[in-house]
Amino acid sequence: MRWSVLAAAVALAGSACRQGTGPAPLLHVVSEHSAGITTLTLVAAPGIRINARVKPALELPDGTVLRFDSPHQTPDSSYFTRPPTSSMAGAHRRAEGTLRASVCAADELVCRSVVLQL
Amino acid sequence: MFRASLPLLAALGAVGVGSVAPAPARPAPVWHNPSWLNADHALTLGELRGRVVLLNFWVFTCYNCTNTVPSLVDFDRRYRDRGLTLIGIHTPEFPPYAGEHDRGNLQRALEQYHIRYPNAQDNDRRTWDLYGIRFWPSFVLIDKRGNIRYEGAGEFHLNDRNYQLWQHRIEELLAE
Repeated sequence: MRWSVLAAAVALAGSACRQGTGPAPLLHVVSEHSAGITTLTLVAAPGIRINARVKPALELPDGTVLRFDSPHQTPDSSYFTRPPTSSMAGAHRRAEGTLRASVCAADELVCRSVVLQL
Repeated sequence: MFRASLPLLAALGAVGVGSVAPAPARPAPVWHNPSWLNADHALTLGELRGRVVLLNFWVFTCYNCTNTVPSLVDFDRRYRDRGLTLIGIHTPEFPPYAGEHDRGNLQRALEQYHIRYPNAQDNDRRTWDLYGIRFWPSFVLIDKRGNIRYEGAGEFHLNDRNYQLWQHRIEELLAE
């Protein structure tokens, strides 16, 4: 069951392609619950690639670090080609904590860090 | 928090991320990184007076950074004996649990990418902050008098336009 769509207040602001359309989220987290497990899926905005060499992480308030991963990556293992997921036991309507990811816009030549408070 | 600031993005947009921006000459900040690889001691800016210094801010988990390494290895091969010192400033993106802070992991990356120039671990991001860096990879070119002359960011490749721009700047400063 899909419960909630969280997050992502971060936009690729300043980019000319975004002008006039309002800020678009770079990343958001989709939370789903099934059979006692909550699955979190990290979804990137179109044109945004998530770095697979350093797995995105969700640092929970108790200090636990959940890493997002997916076997679906570019041949050189640089980027995810499908949204990476993580899971935690129990039913959670939403995840709380600090989300970290390294992302790269397809039309840029740099890596940048995204840190979001969920 | 989004670590890439909008003013900087706008500024880079004016020249294109990945290109070389001339910077007004200003003294390069003095770094104090204690942990170095490919060096028998902690290099200081002072001892490099009289040499041109190219700082490369990078991290081995960054695709754009490692794509640029062959060009940097080429610069080191071509220009070290002519007075260029290339220095990698290895700045992690993630907290230590990701492994980017680990000296052994960095050593393996240096070997994997055939990097022989000195690298400083910048695990506390002090040098990154000192130089006002926002992107991986970034570059700072320092002249023989210790002044920052050019700064830029973004991946480039052997003999492409930005490689040639950096090469031109290096040769310009070596000739001074």
